[in-house]
Amino acid sequence: MTNISNTSKSEIEQTSRRDFFRKTAAYSVSAIAATSILSPAKLLADDENIIHHSKWGTSLGYELNKNPYGVPSPFEHNVVRRTTPLLSSAGDMHAAISLSPIHELKGIITPNGLFFTRTHNGVARIDPNKYRLMIHGLVEKPIVLTLEDIKKYPSESVIHFLECPSNGAAEWKGPQFNSVQFVKGMMSCTEWTGVRLKHILADLGLKPKAKWMLAEGQDGSEMSRTVPVEKVLDDAMIVYAMNGEALREEQGYPVRLLLPGWEANLCVKWLKRLEFGEEPWYCKEETSKYTTLTPSGKAIQHFYPLEVNSIITSPSPEKPWTDLKKGDMVEIEGIAWSGHGKVKLVDISFDGGKNWVEANLKGLVLTKAWTRFSYIYKYDGKPILLSSRAMDESDKVQPTVNQEKAIMGVEGVYHRNSVCTWEIKANGEVNNVQIRS
Amino acid sequence: MFKLDHKFIATSLVALMASSAFTMASTAKKDALDGGMTYTRDKGMYSDYYINKQVDKLKINNGRTPTANELKAWDSDIMPDGTGLPEGKGSVEDGDELYEEQCAACHGDFGAGGVGYPTLSGGSISSLKNQRTAPGMDAPKRTIGTYWPKASTLIWYIRDAMPYAHPKSLNNDQLYALTAYLLSVNNIKVGGEVMEDEFILSNKNFSKIEMPNKDGFYPNIDGKDGVENVRKFFADGKNYGAVGKRCMSNCKDPGMKGAEPTVMKIGIEMKDVNPPYSTVRDMPKKTNTSGHPGKELYESSCAVCHATDKMGAPAVGDKKAWDVVKAKGLQNVMKNAINGTAAMPPKGGNMDLTDWQMQLIVDYMMSQSM
Repeated sequence: MTNISNTSKSEIEQTSRRDFFRKTAAYSVSAIAATSILSPAKLLADDENIIHHSKWGTSLGYELNKNPYGVPSPFEHNVVRRTTPLLSSAGDMHAAISLSPIHELKGIITPNGLFFTRTHNGVARIDPNKYRLMIHGLVEKPIVLTLEDIKKYPSESVIHFLECPSNGAAEWKGPQFNSVQFVKGMMSCTEWTGVRLKHILADLGLKPKAKWMLAEGQDGSEMSRTVPVEKVLDDAMIVYAMNGEALREEQGYPVRLLLPGWEANLCVKWLKRLEFGEEPWYCKEETSKYTTLTPSGKAIQHFYPLEVNSIITSPSPEKPWTDLKKGDMVEIEGIAWSGHGKVKLVDISFDGGKNWVEANLKGLVLTKAWTRFSYIYKYDGKPILLSSRAMDESDKVQPTVNQEKAIMGVEGVYHRNSVCTWEIKANGEVNNVQIRS
Repeated sequence: MFKLDHKFIATSLVALMASSAFTMASTAKKDALDGGMTYTRDKGMYSDYYINKQVDKLKINNGRTPTANELKAWDSDIMPDGTGLPEGKGSVEDGDELYEEQCAACHGDFGAGGVGYPTLSGGSISSLKNQRTAPGMDAPKRTIGTYWPKASTLIWYIRDAMPYAHPKSLNNDQLYALTAYLLSVNNIKVGGEVMEDEFILSNKNFSKIEMPNKDGFYPNIDGKDGVENVRKFFADGKNYGAVGKRCMSNCKDPGMKGAEPTVMKIGIEMKDVNPPYSTVRDMPKKTNTSGHPGKELYESSCAVCHATDKMGAPAVGDKKAWDVVKAKGLQNVMKNAINGTAAMPPKGGNMDLTDWQMQLIVDYMMSQSM
């Protein structure tokens, strides 16, 4: 047996105490590095996890197909969607929203079980054998399709984000949640598989008079929206798979509409019916809701695209820098996205937006998809105001909070895309703040 | 063999680069309706994706033609010009009674809200200019009378989506009565006439409803220029806050008072989140999952009203409230649950539940409230 000296024991304890999120980090690289600089080699504590055989190395694991549908390690149980009664009616979780834990996500693909969810009348449970999609109105040949009919069309797979236009809506009047999950978690990004709507419409013969399409769901609220035909013929799809498997019920199983880059609310779930017409329908969710009230007292309707946006996910209130010490090299990482096209670049500011440096994009840069950005920073222990600002392929740049407020006011609810800022305190704690007058 | 010369190499290189072998993405143009990019589908590419070139020329001809009855059954939308309005009629007075029974529990008396669900009446159009830039200021009131542009939206939504817990359960006359009542509590006129209790709304006079905020929205999406108006709207970022500039140093924000940025911190933090925040990686505590057969039924049919006491119903988990219920005797409790009592409709509005299922539910609710 190896004994740990009293000195090294206290060294471990001190290291542990410094590490606010020690259960998460276990042994952070920086803590070990610091120990080795500060103390002679003899004080280096032996790690029990190395010295002793582990529990899992000295026993038979569980049978490989115990979970015919695999599940995450139970240790990951805190990586889940979260809700708040504030974003619901009287705490009723049938018409509310759950937000993605974007601080725990890696890369650009959201696992299906963590995809954010918004419903207006609960999650509908549809029998796929009884599922029908009707397409009619100003077409030469109206049709009814079964799920199998839809799957017989040649499929395409594309990676696109979906975002609720209310993402960040709680922040119009000032910061309210100290959490990146609640500041920007009303979005996720997935590889969708389905059919381009124009390929189905080629069969039906769209009449030239058709300018608008009604998309209606089959949930209890028959959630519906009006879409211009121009978008339908550009990149609209009806999709039945996400990340390689059937849509989750929360995402509209078995079929939903996908309008890349546009309000997730327009991407109608549990799709029932597509009707083509000459005039817009004025659905409930494009009049009483999902319209953006401006200071003039008039509201913007049919506000489709999710504009260029970005958020730093590490550090964040959930992922603070409390375990860092001066001189540590640390990666600042985040997500940028735009419903108008690809992300062109992302800038980072350390002083609340006075001065900016360009960050690096990393991984795939796809249109209307999450794009990762990264910047390696030498931590110096001083407080900073950390912001990110994205620019997209159509040359649109995220506005400052004050620029956006000057035009949109604070009562619009939807389509908030101004720059987000984290205050990082000397002790590494991260707080949600806004740079605004 | 052909003769190689510089000119040939140059032209063939250009040709090669234009061919798919060198094309990494299809052409992107900033010409979308929404002010963003569109991508061509050519040479087997769509943006960065490879696509099957055959598909764009195919006709697949799946599916079948719907029958006339099928079209009638599903084509239930109601448009602003009255297309789709069902035949029927109902009075404000009848609507009032229906509203009390079926709607007031969620939307409050006279649609005035207060329970947490959407407020349907009250406020003024001028309130829409309110901007809460400081604490204590009044919010803009977005109700049927102050905000909704079309009456068709209201009757259509009620028809398809209401009452919340059992949508599509109202007949056409009830639909008109309820719509009439909601318009009347918003002081909306029909053909210049104030809607008194005996006013009857029908498919005949529906088009005469005067929605006060019908001009409160832009861009104008109606008529032959509708789509073009949308395009023009998105072409100018100033219309919708797309005014960011890429400044790199010594940037001065329009709202900055001095040289340093003004930092606004969280005033009152919203902490009521579920499950509570945690990034700990440990084994979850064993939770006592009650396998009660009434749990799922309760959650899908009853929790809407009984999860809290906000709706006036005894909240599950509230021992005191349930002691009062239990004092009535189990038989009476079951009778009320099945036949309805006070604001509670029979079987909570879900007539698909059997009496046996109702017993399971009541037993579950009681077991959670001891």
